[in-house]
Amino acid sequence: MTEIAQLVLNGIIAGTILAVPAIGITAIYAVLRFPNFAVSSIATMGAFAGYVANVSFGLPAAAAILVGFLLAGLVGVVSDEIVLKPIRRNGLLAAAIASVALTLALENVVRFFFGNDLRSYDLPIARDWRFLGLRIGPQQVENLAIALIAMAAVFLFLAFTRMGKAMRAVADNPMLADIKGINADTVARIVNFAGMGLAGIGGMLIGLDTSIDPLTGFRAILSIFAAAVLGGLGSVPGAVVGALTIGIAEELSLLILAPPYRSAVGFVAILLVLTLRPRGILGERAY
Amino acid sequence: MGLLSVAGVVAGYSAADEILKGVDLDVEAGEIVAIIGPNGAGKSTLLKTVAGLLRPKAGTIALGGQRIDGRPAREISTLGLAFVPQEANVFARMSVAENLEMGGYVDPRGAKHKIAALLERFPMLAEKRRQAARTLSGGQRQILAMAMALMVEPRILLLDEPSAGLSPVAAEQLFATIRAINREGVAIAMVEQNAHEALAIAHRAFILVDGRNSRSGAGAALAADPEVKRLFLGA
Repeated sequence: MTEIAQLVLNGIIAGTILAVPAIGITAIYAVLRFPNFAVSSIATMGAFAGYVANVSFGLPAAAAILVGFLLAGLVGVVSDEIVLKPIRRNGLLAAAIASVALTLALENVVRFFFGNDLRSYDLPIARDWRFLGLRIGPQQVENLAIALIAMAAVFLFLAFTRMGKAMRAVADNPMLADIKGINADTVARIVNFAGMGLAGIGGMLIGLDTSIDPLTGFRAILSIFAAAVLGGLGSVPGAVVGALTIGIAEELSLLILAPPYRSAVGFVAILLVLTLRPRGILGERAY
Repeated sequence: MGLLSVAGVVAGYSAADEILKGVDLDVEAGEIVAIIGPNGAGKSTLLKTVAGLLRPKAGTIALGGQRIDGRPAREISTLGLAFVPQEANVFARMSVAENLEMGGYVDPRGAKHKIAALLERFPMLAEKRRQAARTLSGGQRQILAMAMALMVEPRILLLDEPSAGLSPVAAEQLFATIRAINREGVAIAMVEQNAHEALAIAHRAFILVDGRNSRSGAGAALAADPEVKRLFLGA
């Protein structure tokens, strides 16, 4: 029983972290209508930018993650402007495929600078806390807090700012948004910056839990994408629900599966959703 | 020189097709102009072209003497022309209040005041201000769409079949609202299937047939014309 409770607790933490990049990919999808798989390498880049800030410049993890956000957001905007935007004119499927190519290229940029080695953040060593027979590390709690703050910021931005509302308007009805004078290009740039920035935060949060290498984002992309699809691609609350479901399901799968098979959970979730309820758990609601 | 003058406009959805084959239209400040005609005559295409959603291949469009043809919709909307499309004319997943805010996106100054004034004017919208627009009935949605357009304090409102799909009672209310908006000095150009109602409230009307002007004149005169009666009013 305690084992299950521990797995659920781990799953909630993993799911909350997963929700951050899942919100990124789903928000970009909501506005631009294609799944941008470059999320995977841009998450890795965010993790490495945070690594440099943390290890080379001595910033604490919570500050370094802002550096990860900014760099990932910047790479997201620039790569979209140069690579994906011209291709989008030839169709969204072409853009989705191009984003796979883009992610391979960016992954190798990381490899060029940092090599293939595993790297770890410079974190204070701390003993796990114990309560009711469950264990939780202080770093896990900090990661959970960072993920929750990032999510709260997204919800406040979408609900209360002029740009957040404009973003939801473009996602809701692009033609009407154009008539009303909302500049779709500006909205696209901002959603790319914020969405990819969130991917960068996600990459670093995953790395803080374990270690990072050029495939950090790639290994997580299936779970991230599964979370977004499960909740309803294009729905921000859906991405949160989807991520928690995937996070908990992946942990609970350890009861019956060997750890290497854990990623099967994401595949199974995508298959089930696309077969039974293609619109996802919440259906598409822009925020 | 009228408020809106359209001369010899040719337009369509692709390079090959010409739905409008040289259409003229003029709207004076403060008047209601109805555009009627059979299906496929190009009425909606005309409004979309004026609003900047389609680029005319030939002809000129001027608003208050200033050429607007070929300019993008979002620029035209800042010049005092507001277009209300027939369908998908509200942001379905956003609240009524947010829809109004987005209606005035180009000019956020004083938006709070304008929203408050519109909610006071349309109590139904005030009641549902926090609800998502998709929960509104067809008639309520049309009212919201027009209120959104009023956020920019337009000189002219283009309405694409505002009464389409509405019950007779809802359509009646809608036409009353249109007339009230017009009395405040906003010119209205509206495409209508419901030619009866449209001619009843319009000062003037244009009849389009197959992408060309057929007849035009005072609304009452056209409504009394035997041929118009036979063709469009089912008499």
